[in-house]
Amino acid sequence: MSTAALPADFLQAITEGFPVDFLTREPGELQEYGRDWTRVYTPAPAAVALPRTTDEVSRLLALCHQHHIAVVPSGGRTGLAGGAVAARGELVLSLQRMTRMGPVDLLGNTVRVQAGAVTEAVHHHCAEHGLTWPVDFASKGSSTVGGNIATNAGGVKVIRYGLTRQWVLGLQVVTAQGEVLELNGALEKNNTGTDLRQLFIGSEGTLGVITEATLKLTQLPGKQDVFLFAVPDVAAVLRLFRDARRQNAFSISAYEFFTDRCMARLGRHRKLRPPFETPSECYVLLEAEAKDAAAVEGWLGSLFERELVTDGVQAQGAAQAAELWALREGISESLSATGLPHKNDISLPVAGLEAFCAELEAIFSARYPGWEICLFGHIGDGNLHVNVMKPDAMDKAEFLAHTKQADPTMFALVQKHGGSISAEHGVGLLKKDYLGYSRAPAELALLRTLKRALDPRGILNPGKVVDA
Amino acid sequence: MKILVTAKRVEDPESKIKVKPDGSGIVQEGLKYKINPFDEIGVEEGLRLVAKHQGEVVVVSIGGKEVQEQLRHALAMGAHRAVWVNHTGPVDQLGIAALLQKVVEKEQPDLVILGKQSIDDDQNQVGQYLAEFLGWGQATFASKVESMESEQEKNKVPAIVLTADKKSVQVIREVDNGLATVECQLPAVVTTDLRLNQPRYASLPGIMKAKSKPIEELTPAKLSVDVTPAIQVLKMSSPPARKAGIKVADVPALVEKLHNEAKVV
Ligand SMILES: Cc1cc2nc3c(=O)[nH]c(=O)nc-3n(C[C@H](O)[C@H](O)[C@H](O)COP(=O)(O)OP(=O)(O)OC[C@H]3O[C@@H](n4cnc5c(N)ncnc54)[C@H](O)[C@@H]3O)c2cc1C
Ligand SMILES: Cc1cc2nc3c(=O)[nH]c(=O)nc-3n(C[C@H](O)[C@H](O)[C@H](O)COP(=O)(O)OP(=O)(O)OC[C@H]3O[C@@H](n4cnc5c(N)ncnc54)[C@H](O)[C@@H]3O)c2cc1C
Repeated sequence: MSTAALPADFLQAITEGFPVDFLTREPGELQEYGRDWTRVYTPAPAAVALPRTTDEVSRLLALCHQHHIAVVPSGGRTGLAGGAVAARGELVLSLQRMTRMGPVDLLGNTVRVQAGAVTEAVHHHCAEHGLTWPVDFASKGSSTVGGNIATNAGGVKVIRYGLTRQWVLGLQVVTAQGEVLELNGALEKNNTGTDLRQLFIGSEGTLGVITEATLKLTQLPGKQDVFLFAVPDVAAVLRLFRDARRQNAFSISAYEFFTDRCMARLGRHRKLRPPFETPSECYVLLEAEAKDAAAVEGWLGSLFERELVTDGVQAQGAAQAAELWALREGISESLSATGLPHKNDISLPVAGLEAFCAELEAIFSARYPGWEICLFGHIGDGNLHVNVMKPDAMDKAEFLAHTKQADPTMFALVQKHGGSISAEHGVGLLKKDYLGYSRAPAELALLRTLKRALDPRGILNPGKVVDA
Repeated sequence: MKILVTAKRVEDPESKIKVKPDGSGIVQEGLKYKINPFDEIGVEEGLRLVAKHQGEVVVVSIGGKEVQEQLRHALAMGAHRAVWVNHTGPVDQLGIAALLQKVVEKEQPDLVILGKQSIDDDQNQVGQYLAEFLGWGQATFASKVESMESEQEKNKVPAIVLTADKKSVQVIREVDNGLATVECQLPAVVTTDLRLNQPRYASLPGIMKAKSKPIEELTPAKLSVDVTPAIQVLKMSSPPARKAGIKVADVPALVEKLHNEAKVV
């Protein structure tokens, strides 16, 4: 936990081979860089390295390999699985100084960026050319391209664009031994055997450090309409989704849901006004691009006649659209600001959601009778964020012990319905013990083999995802 | 009571506004439009007043046929009917006020609510001209009233208060070092400030209903108003571009620049 954890000859080599400001051991910084968005582990890194170039990353990793020093790759630290947590005297390797963005290639619709570039900065960089990198969620102002790729991040536009994986053409990765790999360049097509780039996407810093990426871009979407609907329950959320999905009058770019409990926390934290006079148990945010305005109007009118919704509003202008989005995107932050949430991020096959949700209720009342559970998520992707809030009177340790006991029951249900125990947040430290609910023993064995092959000394993010 | 509220069509402040290279106006292509935010506040206030005292909110907009979008928006919020003065071409604040005067004479409202200014031309004149033309009292820049009620309840209550005899209206306006309460006899002209209220969302049922609410069409000719402008805009230009920032190596370098170049320390 202190500098003593780093051998003197290693420190000597750093002093001799790297800029003076390469390493920091200032206690405030160690606190800051030692954790991600999760607040479960006490940060305790030995030091933070802040390289500016791939060459520095490469030489640093070679040195760490030589000295058996554990390294935690670190981006914007907005991760929700504890993947970027350094609680055991590791060296944090922050990509924060590697933010360069190359020119946008307007013929290929690509851009080459360093891994520390902030997601939203990439958006601004490309928007001038009418293009975007469609990886989009509430933490985009802090999360980095490297972190997005390392977690294969999802977000609010997955229903239209898919996951981060779909939007990465090429990767530059530094291996545990310090070797620099250039994978796939800027090629759309390259069937020359197993695509190694895919190994690193979603590997959460356990197989290599991403230093640069060639991103695939797409046209900025046209005019979007934003609606918020009030519906009586989760079953109604799914009924409306089934109906919306069948329409040809518009294409859906987001279908998000949240419960009134989330709204109440938002109200307390941000003083956001509820859009409806009468509260409802569930709300749906629909963002859609109209192809046939008259047909969209017809559909909207029919929602009331067919009792698919009980109320609804349509944003008039960009400011109101942003206000409605703030209701959905502010939830994660408001839950953490007003209490301690125990987060689960699960996914189910969309067709199985209804049956799953019906059984989930039973688990809640058995395991958490009378507790506050805040549900929200990218329901259009079959993705639910389940947030169990710590009762105010309970202490943190007891709360964590309780949720730890209750989780397996829910995960068993997820498994039964063919779902995943981590939809988009990754495994990190938080979900590691439960990986068996989503991955078969033979798969886990293969993951371990891969880890040993790529990182024989186990220096890259040890203890995260799987143990070698 | 009957309340007339104006609803001007303005550029959505979220869209990027560029001045034409020849300075003759702004580039219209690709712009989004919305109801002037001050007018939206006016519609909200009108709706709260009639919710409390019964009556009718009539919205009026002057412009080409595209201003019907803003009228529909006000109708979707809950306004009862609309008046559209169809006019394409130049018009200044005096012309707008003269047209509104005729509409007011026709409609005979108890109260006219306008925005204190448009966010595009930023003139802050029409409300005052209108009161003068009509010979009515005016209370400009209506701001929030103090209230001991809960946030939820406060949200529904109008900030413009009718006196007990319903013959006059009390309005709180923000002044330099506090709040001033003014009272004027009805009928009166009130203009809205930004903090007066937070306009409601247009509900989907409201949007549906708005489609069948009537919009009456008038023209300057029908109202016998000559709108030939007395004011002519000679040239528009963008504010000077801001100089790019610079990075300094460390604090001493910063202090040196602040001292020698900016001369502020
Ligand atoms: C308010 C909020 C909303 C969110 N919404 C969503 C959402 O909708 N969808 C979603 O998918 N996620 C969401 N997240 C989670 C998070 O933002 C994403 O996982 C994001 O991709 C993490 O990026 P980061 O740069 O912050 O990574 P970090 O948290 O710094 O790291 C995440 C993982 O990637 C590894 N890593 C980071 N950089 C590199 C690199 N260059 N090379 C190798 N490994 C690296 C780390 O070791 C760690 O394991 C949300 C988070 C918050 C706080
Ligand atoms: C490029 C450009 C083109 C224009 N083309 C036309 C056109 O073709 N036809 C046309 O009629 N006008 C047109 N106008 C608008 C017209 O010039 C202004 O409405 C008028 O000069 C009043 O000025 P103001 O809005 O700055 O007054 P302010 O005194 O700032 O306005 C105060 C209040 O008056 C009310 N008000 C002002 N204008 C109107 C309106 N038009 N309808 C309803 N309420 C209003 C609003 O409540 C507003 O909040 C155009 C303006 C611009 C900038």
